[in-house]
Amino acid sequence: MPTLKIDGIEVTVEPGTTVLQACEIAGKEIPRFCYHERLSIAGNCRMCLVEQEKAPKPIASCAMPAADGMVIKTDTPLVKKAREGVMEFLLINHPLDCPICDQGGECDLQDQAMGYGRGGSRYQENKRAVTEKEMGPLVATSMTRCIHCTRCIRFVTEVAGVAELGATGRGEDMEVTTYLGAALSSEISANVIDLCPVGALTSKPYAFTARPWELRKAESVDVMDALGSNIRIDYRGREVMRVLPRLNEAVNEEWLSDKGRFSCDGLSKRRLDKPYVRKNGKLQAATWPEAFAAIAAKVQGLNGGEIAAIAGDLACAEGMTALKDLMSGLGSANIDCRQDGAKLPAGSRAGYVFNSGVAGIDQADAILLIGTDPRKEAPVLNARIRKRLLKGGLRIAAIGPKVDLTYPVEWLGNDATAVAGICNGAHAFAEVLKSAKNPMLILGQGALARLDGAAVYSAAKAIADNCGLVKDGWNGFNVLHTAAGRVAGLDLGLVPGQGGLDVAGIQSAAQSGQVKFVYLLQADELDTSKFGSAFVVYQGSHGDAGAHRADVILPAAAYTEKDATWVNTEGRVQLARRAVAPPGDAREDWSIIRALSEALGKKLPYDSLGQLRRRMLELAPHFAAVDRLTPAAWNVATAPGTIDGSWGFVYAVTDHYRTNPIARASGTMAECAEVARTGSVKAPEKMLVATNG
Amino acid sequence: MAEFWNGYLLPGILILAQILVLVVPLLLAVAYLTLMERKVLAAMQLRMGPNVVGPFGLFQPWADAVKLMFKEPILPTGANKVVFVIAPMITFILALIAWAVIPLGTGLVIANINVGILYLFAISSLGVYGIIMAGWASNSRYAFLGALRSSAQMVSYEVSMGFVIITVLLLVGSLNLGHIVEAQHGGFWKWHWVPLFPMFIVFFISALAETNRHPFDLPEAEAELVAGYQVEYSSMSFALFFLGEYANMILMSAMTAILFMGGWLPPFEFGPTAGVLGALWGFFWFFLKIFVLLFVFIWIRATLPRYRYDQLMRIGWKVFLPLSLIYLVIVAGFVTYWPR
Amino acid sequence: MGFLDRTGRTLFLAELASGMALTFRYMFKKRATVNYPYQKGPLSPRFRGEHALRRYPSGEERCIACKLCEAICPAQAITIEAEPRDDGSRRTTRYDIDMTKCIYCGFCQEACPVDAIVEGPNFEYSAETREELFYDKNKLLANGDRWEYEIARNLEADAPYR
Repeated sequence: MPTLKIDGIEVTVEPGTTVLQACEIAGKEIPRFCYHERLSIAGNCRMCLVEQEKAPKPIASCAMPAADGMVIKTDTPLVKKAREGVMEFLLINHPLDCPICDQGGECDLQDQAMGYGRGGSRYQENKRAVTEKEMGPLVATSMTRCIHCTRCIRFVTEVAGVAELGATGRGEDMEVTTYLGAALSSEISANVIDLCPVGALTSKPYAFTARPWELRKAESVDVMDALGSNIRIDYRGREVMRVLPRLNEAVNEEWLSDKGRFSCDGLSKRRLDKPYVRKNGKLQAATWPEAFAAIAAKVQGLNGGEIAAIAGDLACAEGMTALKDLMSGLGSANIDCRQDGAKLPAGSRAGYVFNSGVAGIDQADAILLIGTDPRKEAPVLNARIRKRLLKGGLRIAAIGPKVDLTYPVEWLGNDATAVAGICNGAHAFAEVLKSAKNPMLILGQGALARLDGAAVYSAAKAIADNCGLVKDGWNGFNVLHTAAGRVAGLDLGLVPGQGGLDVAGIQSAAQSGQVKFVYLLQADELDTSKFGSAFVVYQGSHGDAGAHRADVILPAAAYTEKDATWVNTEGRVQLARRAVAPPGDAREDWSIIRALSEALGKKLPYDSLGQLRRRMLELAPHFAAVDRLTPAAWNVATAPGTIDGSWGFVYAVTDHYRTNPIARASGTMAECAEVARTGSVKAPEKMLVATNG
Repeated sequence: MAEFWNGYLLPGILILAQILVLVVPLLLAVAYLTLMERKVLAAMQLRMGPNVVGPFGLFQPWADAVKLMFKEPILPTGANKVVFVIAPMITFILALIAWAVIPLGTGLVIANINVGILYLFAISSLGVYGIIMAGWASNSRYAFLGALRSSAQMVSYEVSMGFVIITVLLLVGSLNLGHIVEAQHGGFWKWHWVPLFPMFIVFFISALAETNRHPFDLPEAEAELVAGYQVEYSSMSFALFFLGEYANMILMSAMTAILFMGGWLPPFEFGPTAGVLGALWGFFWFFLKIFVLLFVFIWIRATLPRYRYDQLMRIGWKVFLPLSLIYLVIVAGFVTYWPR
Repeated sequence: MGFLDRTGRTLFLAELASGMALTFRYMFKKRATVNYPYQKGPLSPRFRGEHALRRYPSGEERCIACKLCEAICPAQAITIEAEPRDDGSRRTTRYDIDMTKCIYCGFCQEACPVDAIVEGPNFEYSAETREELFYDKNKLLANGDRWEYEIARNLEADAPYR
């Protein structure tokens, strides 16, 4: 434990701590550009120079390990002069085009030039100019502004795991570039925008649209995947301008997937902004009372068994609570939230959440992936697995079709029976799991959403039992969800009740005419042609699959437009704040259902969000523990079955950029999907113009 | 029929004609007095004054009149409607009927009554009713405060004014305005302002207060009361107040000229004295004196700032009243012991 | 003597008379005002009148949508929306000034890094409706084209003192 003195303050730090980190512990702010806590140390910007006693010249504090007895000074004239000098050098080739730079107002270089610069330059010669680079549809480049901190290169190489960025040339000729102008293929590539301390890498969809000081901020939760990344929604007026990640060490650290960051332009497209009622085969705009009257006229005289409801991937806990109560009020047990047909047990919470937690990945030393492609299903979680792998001492094996997960994996073949093999100890990887200290199993939706999903599930559960995945203080049985609303739905019990039908059951009953009324709550990810002649009510935000089939459309708020509760794949309850108002007549999910319940004569007993949330706590008491993980007891009951080995797993997410109505409405996501499909970017016209001009 | 014609209709028509001959030029004079006021004030403040409507702004009063006539008359909801409408009419009518006894030359008067000065005094005292009715009926705090100030001020200054007039009466021995003028015959050193100089000043200052003019315009003090009793008035009802106020100014100037400056008499004994020419000659001098006095009205407005309410009262009760009382005694003594 | 002096002055209204004399003298002085619509006073090069958006001599608009004027405007009279133009340059799609909100402080032209938004020498732009005073980008650019000569001359005259 080295003890060192910083500006007269004595601090004792862990071995391996750098001088810069020690200074931060002592409360001294050290300016820096290249240094980043989550990246390797580069030491090439020299902004963090401090004075060390008995050293002949200033030291780069980010790269210097703290040693016992060091005496560091951060506020001497020498340090000041060194910083001014470094800043002057950095600004020699920086174009100072802040007025047209999107980073203006939130730029590290701007701030530090104000704080530590000397306020003028002695450089009279021509500045260098660098041609723009093409990095795909998300990252706009202006490489003349680059100060070569290499944060982006290190991020893409280390965290994202795709070695697609690099530097060519030395000194003044150094340029950061992708290989032959190819787009970044990572699903978390846009984090380089946040990392870039200057305006060299900026957001392309957000380009030039707003300034940081005119944006208002709402803290929210990402719903594009089930990880529940913490986000900050920046909005201006009624428009969501951009989405940024929020720091949460336990969930997303400070990263965010590109889908979560850039699908926000889909929030203003293809929106349902007023109710519609189908008349003579055509959907016609209507008022709320007309829509409710149409529904009430249909529901009248139906018994509970003829009514069914399905909650979709983007349904929030509040809406699902109201839906469940409405259905029980109507006497129907036909309710389900697993629209992909995943055979997830509803009863025991430990059976369907990511028990070890996302942060638990950092402790794992053996991971078995079953029918999951975390890179597509939860890119930030995949980066966390990669981070754990880079630390060493981790073995990863996977059952499923071979894909590039950005790290080496032992592929155990795409054979569903391999699960059974590990479970009964026949497979070699069973020994790895058994001998591991913190073994982990990640069960994907691709393995469960099959006809024999229940059998796969019970086999996976048997692996957990047989290979010692569940022990004191450690539960390595993890289910990786793909839908943001799924865990909340299971928590709240949106599963078929006594004698009720699940999604497949509802669809076949609708086709045979037994179910005459289907209520879809934000449910689009299912085959909507299979509802026969049933009367379909679709409540959702976008004109997507569900709305096309619907007989009545009820416009609902999207996730940025409501105060909502989301439960991520770990079972972590998180609150999202409303940023903007819903468009037109659209309302929050629960208030629509509450109003409908009155029209149907089954008035729900809550009038406010507070009352509704109290009802939610009755259904699921652990909803009170916001932002904390509630360990679930390991008492999962499974039904035995046989795994059909004749066909392999198919991953739940194949088209990563089009998994939900919001992403499908987003132009940026469409571009990303196009680039991911063809592997090439559009002809970079902008590049040519910028070079000529 | 003939008896009716000779007894009623002809005198009636004649009186009407006389009234029209007096009132129409008077209103014209009022209109151009406003222009003169604006022009003189502007000149003293190094400004231009109205100069857009017509040559040198000469049509400005007409433009103002048209504007006022076409503005929307506003009746405040809380106002007492009848009183609110009547008040400006009373002010205006009182300002005009006082002119019935003002002689413009020897015998050139509509009503040659022997108690002319008493009549004038009574009419100008009634003027306060119009103001206090306006202030009360508006149902507005500013208007009410303005009306209260106005009535207190007018009542206070009427007292000393009364004593000043008595000194004049003592010298003349008649209440007939024509006789008062005739008594000053024989050049400007025979005019009353020579023997009664302090009273002349007191009378003029009281006239300022009586007409609510600067520096005693507390009733409408725009800085504190917005516009005093006129605050709720617009369009023609406001115009009536306006006309009344300016007609009163001319009336007060005429009274000052008659009482102290020899009315229509020229300053030296020259020019025609009889016939149409004599009347015109007399009217010219009367007009000139009124004009000069009105100029002084405006001149004072351009020079002096507004008095505080307590200062106003102090001057009225503690300076003018004792002064005029003492002077009354002195004049009475002189008249008794050294009769002319 | 002092008492006598004071009393005499009060009695003969000496202050009043001297004051009246002063105003009377002023009546014959030269007018300080100008006959406005026909004559106009001189304007400083720094006069802050009606706003204008300038162009470069090439015809390219100067404004680069940096939004500094919008940020500094104390009356929040400026509204800007921007997006990349077809050639990739940063341009405004909307540049509105609510002239009824504007307090003519001139901060916008101080903040402008490219001398795009300026307050020109024109002060005669009264309108009969409020709507006419909600200036949009076209109106401002038209102002710039119309007043460019005067604006450029003023900027040049003021340049040594900036």
